[in-house]
Amino acid sequence: MDYQNLFIQAVQSLRKNILRTSLTMLGIVIGISAVILIVSLGQGAVQFITNELSSFGTNYFQINPGSNQISSIAGGRKTLTLQDAEAIRRNPLLTNVETVIPFASTSVPVSANRIDKSLLAYGMTSDASKMLNVDMIYGQFLTDEDNLTSSKVAVIGADAAKDFFGEDTNPVGQTIRIDNKPFRIIGVAKSGSGFFGGFFNNAVYIPLNVALNQIIGQDAGLQEIDVAVKNTDLMNQTIADTKTLLRQRHHIREGNDDDFIIQSFQDALTTVQTITSLLTLVVAAISGISLVVGGVGVMNIMLVTVTERTREIGLLKSIGAKKKDILSQFLMESVVITLAGGIIGITIGIGGAFLISLVAPIPFVISVPAIIIAVGVAIFVGIAFGIYPARRAANLTPIEALRYE
Amino acid sequence: MPTNKDSLIRLENVKKYYVLGDGAHYEALTGINLVINQGEFVAIMGPSGSGKSTLMHILGALDTPTSGKYFLHGEDVGSLTDDQLAEIRNREIGFVFQSFNLLPRTTVFKNVERPMLYANIPWPERQKRVANALKLVELEEKADNLSNHISGGQIQRVAIARALVMNPSLILADEPTGNLDTKTSHAIMDFFKKLNNEGKTIIVITHEDDIAHFAKRRIRLVDGKIVRDTNRS
Repeated sequence: MDYQNLFIQAVQSLRKNILRTSLTMLGIVIGISAVILIVSLGQGAVQFITNELSSFGTNYFQINPGSNQISSIAGGRKTLTLQDAEAIRRNPLLTNVETVIPFASTSVPVSANRIDKSLLAYGMTSDASKMLNVDMIYGQFLTDEDNLTSSKVAVIGADAAKDFFGEDTNPVGQTIRIDNKPFRIIGVAKSGSGFFGGFFNNAVYIPLNVALNQIIGQDAGLQEIDVAVKNTDLMNQTIADTKTLLRQRHHIREGNDDDFIIQSFQDALTTVQTITSLLTLVVAAISGISLVVGGVGVMNIMLVTVTERTREIGLLKSIGAKKKDILSQFLMESVVITLAGGIIGITIGIGGAFLISLVAPIPFVISVPAIIIAVGVAIFVGIAFGIYPARRAANLTPIEALRYE
Repeated sequence: MPTNKDSLIRLENVKKYYVLGDGAHYEALTGINLVINQGEFVAIMGPSGSGKSTLMHILGALDTPTSGKYFLHGEDVGSLTDDQLAEIRNREIGFVFQSFNLLPRTTVFKNVERPMLYANIPWPERQKRVANALKLVELEEKADNLSNHISGGQIQRVAIARALVMNPSLILADEPTGNLDTKTSHAIMDFFKKLNNEGKTIIVITHEDDIAHFAKRRIRLVDGKIVRDTNRS
């Protein structure tokens, strides 16, 4: 019998017991939709993070204080100074360095317009605006002169501006008290980045020298130095030279660990992508286990079906069905169940990923390889778990089947 | 005993034993010698347990003898593989059973068409043959009805149509009227008679005398042996 007739027969046969078919399919639907959803979200997350990090430009590397990743994040070490940043900027050997952007931050009480809040205050130089991709809503960003003259001026993030002064109000020229010191607002800035924008927009920016000398304190050190290079091909050499320079400045002996961490944005990007992809794979594999459960469900129902239809099998054998005819008939039924379940699962998975992309800042990504693999897996599950019941049906002798009550 | 070459069916000392649960043998057929020629209308009779169902299974290539030989069209059926037996059933034999004749919740058309799918007969030919067979049993207008939406007599007629559709040399009916009232039974038997008049070989297994009377030749089985074989033609 040709595949077209087999397929039509299988569909007709499954439609006779639509409730049972649907319930059997459910296991496959859940398994496939979970895998598709997770892979889509995982890939969306990778794309999102890539976009976010790329918006800073891949020609940057960052230097943090501390001897390992955790202490650098915790900010426990205070080994990085403004003088370090100046040394990198001025070193004649570091010809590939384009800009050096040191910054420091601390949480401080901020009040304006009779409203008190606790916000992050960033000490920055004018170059930071380039790296952060800031859009000025009102006024202007911090200038080099503000920094040199230690002017008490501040740029405030868009969200913070809204909280203090209300929406659509230009606060430029007003006074804001940061750590109880009056600052003149010179601009309102907004970062376009959805990921970093969340906290950058809810902060205040003041000249770095003011931050270090009057709020955080000189000995607190820098939180980070970002360095932009001219030629990314020479990034690794520049990082190595910078490392040598900082080790000399920090008097670190041969054999001892660095007291700072240098990481290029590209490295960070790769790390994040690797971690996210790995997590996606692990979670997808775990969801894949439900496919095995679904497959066992299919096998169970097919065994029941074969028993129920023993008389029918006897009849079919008496009118000339060969073993392979019966085998392919029942195998086709289980494959149709799992394939239909797979297609429904893919649709639900993609639909779910789309709905999540509407509410979460994760882009909607359809993974074509995941869909192809899901279809393949669905067919495989149908064959793998359908073969045993189908063989049982095929191997019934005609009289055994005809006599079955 | 006639042994002419035209014989459609020749059984030579056919025995069939079943092994029971306790290891003992049950002898369903204890040595059957039988020749049935093309064009005969035979009724095989006997009380339950006489072995007539076993004989029907062997004649229908659904089962093979424990010993002895069964020749259908001169071919030794006992030596065939499962697939070859399936082909014999498909091409040479048309079955009509007492019950469970049709695929449940499947149209009359698809039921009659099914044997031709196993023979890979192409669609236009299948359509033509189903139409002809249904016309013969006067059920053309029921082609699209589901098998569970027609009467018992109609079910048997659909089964006859399906038995004819591969144009087999033998129609084998196992208690074909067992579930029908007398009037419908006789109508069904009239169909067999008509088919026989057109040259089909027909074997009916029954335990009812009035049904057996439609046949020209009557064979009575008792305890797995032929005890009487009468021919009134």
